[in-house]
Amino acid sequence: MTMGPAPAIDGRQAAPLLRLSNIKKSFPGVDALKSVSFEISAGEVHVILGQNGAGKSSLIKVLCGAYLADGGEMEVDGRPVAIRGPADANALGIAVIYQEFSLVPYLDIAQNIFLGREGAFAKAGLIDKAAMHAAARQVLQQLGLTYDTHTYVHDLGVAHQQMVEIAKALSQNARILVMDEPTAAISERESDRLFEVIDRLKQRGVAIVYISHRMKEIMALGDRITVMRDGAVVGSFLRGEAAAGELVRLMIGRSLDGMTRRAPVGAGHCVLSADRLRTAKLQDISLDVRAGEVVGLAGLVGSGRTEVVRAIFGVDPLTGGNIHLDGAPFTLRPDASIRAGIALLPEDRKRQGLALPLTVGDNTVAASLWRLFRYFRFIPTTARQVCDDLIARLNIATRGPGQQVHDLSGGNQQKIVLGKWLAAGARLFLLDEPTRGVDVGAKAEIYRLIDGLAKDGAAVLVISSEFPELVHLCDRAYVMRDYAIVGHLDHGTLSEKAILDLAVHP
Amino acid sequence: MTDHTADNALRHEALWRRIPGVVLILIAMVAWFAIGNPRFLSGDNLANLGLQASLLLMLALPMTLIILTAGLDLSVGALLGLCGVVIAALLVAGWSLIVAVGAALAVGLIIGLINGYLVSYLSLPAFVVTLGTLGISEGLALAISHGDPIGGFTPSIEAFYRSTVGGVPTPVIAAALFCGLLWLILYRTRFGNYIFAIGGNKEALHLAGVKANLVHMAVYVLCSLSVALSALLLLGRTNSAHPSVAVGMEFEAIAAVVLGGTSFEKGQGWLLGTVLGVLAITVLRNGLNVLSVEPSLQVLCVGLMLIVALLIDRGRKGEMAGAAG
Amino acid sequence: MTSVTHHSPTAAVSRALSPDSIGLLVRLGLIAAICIFLTFVSEGFATTDNLLNILRQASLLFLIASGLTLVIIGGGLDLSIGANLTLCACLAAATIKATGQPMAGAAVALGCGTLVGLTNGVLINRLKLPAFLATFGMLWVAQGLAYRFMAGQTIYGFPPGFRTWGIGFFLGVPVPIWIALAVGLCGLIFLARSTLGREVYFMGANETAAVLSGIPVGRRRTLLYALSGAMAGLSALVYIARLNAAEPGIGEPLLLPAIAAVLVGGTSLFGGRGTIVGTFLGALILTLIVKALNALNVDAAWHPVVTGVTLLLALLADAALNRGGRK
Repeated sequence: MTMGPAPAIDGRQAAPLLRLSNIKKSFPGVDALKSVSFEISAGEVHVILGQNGAGKSSLIKVLCGAYLADGGEMEVDGRPVAIRGPADANALGIAVIYQEFSLVPYLDIAQNIFLGREGAFAKAGLIDKAAMHAAARQVLQQLGLTYDTHTYVHDLGVAHQQMVEIAKALSQNARILVMDEPTAAISERESDRLFEVIDRLKQRGVAIVYISHRMKEIMALGDRITVMRDGAVVGSFLRGEAAAGELVRLMIGRSLDGMTRRAPVGAGHCVLSADRLRTAKLQDISLDVRAGEVVGLAGLVGSGRTEVVRAIFGVDPLTGGNIHLDGAPFTLRPDASIRAGIALLPEDRKRQGLALPLTVGDNTVAASLWRLFRYFRFIPTTARQVCDDLIARLNIATRGPGQQVHDLSGGNQQKIVLGKWLAAGARLFLLDEPTRGVDVGAKAEIYRLIDGLAKDGAAVLVISSEFPELVHLCDRAYVMRDYAIVGHLDHGTLSEKAILDLAVHP
Repeated sequence: MTDHTADNALRHEALWRRIPGVVLILIAMVAWFAIGNPRFLSGDNLANLGLQASLLLMLALPMTLIILTAGLDLSVGALLGLCGVVIAALLVAGWSLIVAVGAALAVGLIIGLINGYLVSYLSLPAFVVTLGTLGISEGLALAISHGDPIGGFTPSIEAFYRSTVGGVPTPVIAAALFCGLLWLILYRTRFGNYIFAIGGNKEALHLAGVKANLVHMAVYVLCSLSVALSALLLLGRTNSAHPSVAVGMEFEAIAAVVLGGTSFEKGQGWLLGTVLGVLAITVLRNGLNVLSVEPSLQVLCVGLMLIVALLIDRGRKGEMAGAAG
Repeated sequence: MTSVTHHSPTAAVSRALSPDSIGLLVRLGLIAAICIFLTFVSEGFATTDNLLNILRQASLLFLIASGLTLVIIGGGLDLSIGANLTLCACLAAATIKATGQPMAGAAVALGCGTLVGLTNGVLINRLKLPAFLATFGMLWVAQGLAYRFMAGQTIYGFPPGFRTWGIGFFLGVPVPIWIALAVGLCGLIFLARSTLGREVYFMGANETAAVLSGIPVGRRRTLLYALSGAMAGLSALVYIARLNAAEPGIGEPLLLPAIAAVLVGGTSLFGGRGTIVGTFLGALILTLIVKALNALNVDAAWHPVVTGVTLLLALLADAALNRGGRK
């Protein structure tokens, strides 16, 4: 894919459309943005690259007025401005295309484009539908789209909904368009269509802040690329200045200094073996995990890693293939999986892993009631003992089993989810981003715990977006891209670079 | 463009899907009752059918708007009884009809504001909030009437109820006009757009700079106000006000909306579907009356019809999902 | 006890002042306040007979509210309890009249109640209907069946052996209070001392996490609705034994006070939170409020108004207290 020569950015650099300098934003316990500077010119696509939690979302939210920055300056057209709310951002011509669209399913395309601005078409209190649809068609035409504007948004595919969202922003005279992972949920053909639209927008002088994990499109689209990590900008490049591998290396960050790799173990019998799994999304996933082994499942966000563990755990139905546990097939349903000794640590612990209003004690025994107690008889002292043991073993900082989980830090919450599975006596651990959103100290502890699990003979499958973490933690790893496994790295070949090469390039 | 035709096909498919199971049920019922009893299609019975439908329509149409916002109003039956009692008591006390109706509208406004404020601004669950106002309305009606029917007020209400224009009962015309008005509001004004938006994506409405909570509250107020007006139809029909006469009408109103294919999620629904739902319920009850089935069993039949309609729609939707997936 | 648990004084204090215990104190305080008020306003309030009578009335309300408490803790709602009670009452009354056997009536009432509850569970699990819609429909179905069955009649005059369940005394205490105590104890054990109870709290607090923790949410939900139905059946028996009559209007007015009692008792409509003891206190508070209204010579017609207002206030308090823990 060639995009022709890079546009003459130099000429425009004198007066950028938008300039952010030293933007700071912190939340209790987290510096979400540590002095971030950023600028974009008219007709430019500026890509922001970073992992989850790198600060991209916070930056967008400051830009669109959802967050108020704690410090720093903003300039539009060279004049200082303040964005105190969504209305300010709108007035400045800043619009965001979110991953979760701000569209109404059972209104048609025209109604959605002009939602909240119907006044322009009102005649004696009634909406002049013909005028509204004509205006909507005109907006769509600017993007080269020919939808029937009477179609319900609900009946459109994701890609088309996205186009409507873009049309909506354009109709509000947006000059700066922020696109948050626009290609995450659409097909390649649809993506090409999106790129055409982006081209048209560029020609109209719209500046586009583009967020994505997909290196191929980033390299093709980005006039400028800024890499963020841990709430700071770690690098900014013009087109052609940096190779994809370098960008990703910057994005995923430091190697884990001073950390030695796990010593390879003599793997035991095969605990999990999956053969050509297919689901609505996944394609022919085959993998196996042995006792005493930590196996990585690497890949960028959206490559299908979570779907694999959900399928193994029996949450998402299989459309093909089979799974064996200790060489025998088993029922694919969460409660059956648990009884068979499988544990799933979900990626979103607050929504999927914990009952936040309940106590530490309630949460730790939630998955092991069937195992700890017979005849439905719950014995609080037993539960308390199990919980106390886990608190001690996992070194959970809590006032005790009676404390609400809601009040604990991320790291301690994650340890409770892990503890839930230890109590359930699992032998196969499926860990989806086990260190997401936890601090450095807790990370090291979680690494140690995972290592300990394997030493005790459990089989562990770890998903992580942090490749150094995988290299440090795992005996070997599978690498995924586009819902398929694209490679396997054994202990000898496992390295950040090897993962990168497989995860990024086709 | 291929995309264009694909979109058109989608739209037709959606239209087809929107024709709810209730239509099939309605046709089947009319055929069955008409064959079973020739009087069913007589002018008298049709007028009667229209009269019965008009009151339910006055309740079910605004209920549609509420359900489109993913809400529910259980208080309409009790409020209807209360407003009837208020109007009757004031008329008996010698006040003019205008004052009486004004008072009923004021009562409706207050209940609507309570429902709307708690549901929209405080995000409390609608079914419990309106259960609370159901109790309040029921109690107030009992307290005002001391539990006895109030009769002997101006005959003009009954005269209005019995009058016809060009052979069509006036209440039917009134209900039809009301339906037209709500249709305009829902499909031709921004308020209507916002109703779909509240059920479908309230956040989007906030982001668009609309006072979404205010709109949300207004829907409940609108419903309560039209309930207050409907009390006139109730008084005309029974020629007396009884506090508990309308108990359970909320069930028929909700049933009519759900029968009509309006869903509690995503702001998916269809105002004219509710008209079909009302017709289905009225035809069923009328037909059962003609067959002299007692009223208690009729409620049961309404419930069963609802389940059948839901099953038909669900079955078809399942087919669609299967085909798409 | 051999387990070495170390109780630091601060931990003990913080446990004593947990939101739950504060709520308990607030409710007890409210009850004390109304009682003191009534002692001054109404003569003969502070007599053993009168207090037992109040407890008996509260017990009836508690019986029907106890099943609902379980359902709401599990994240559901049952609007059909009142009508279910009516249907059970009518069927049981007819059975007792026909056979003269209280136990036969009891079997019919409990069976019918459970069946209605199971149907609710099936509608919600299989048809994926929202709980309020399914149980609201069931309300009218049960009501319709009851009217149909009674055909305008009232059944009255039960054998004395059966009436004991409603008006009898055992060891000087009315039988309904004993029944409520027994049910309360069972509820307490179910929620606090059975694994099922733990699962109910967990699925009420976070259904997704419950599924991913292997809790069979659908089956548990059906169990809760069945229990709620069974409690409606039990309440029906005590109710008609006290009234000495059954007719199709008896159950429906109980729905509102029952929901109010559950919410006043501190059970959250958002699921995962609540206790049986709280519901008993809630039922007692509502009964006392009615007594206070009577003492002030307020017309009985106003009772639903006050109950409705109480319900809304409890709802507001619930939202204010529980929103913090959720968002």
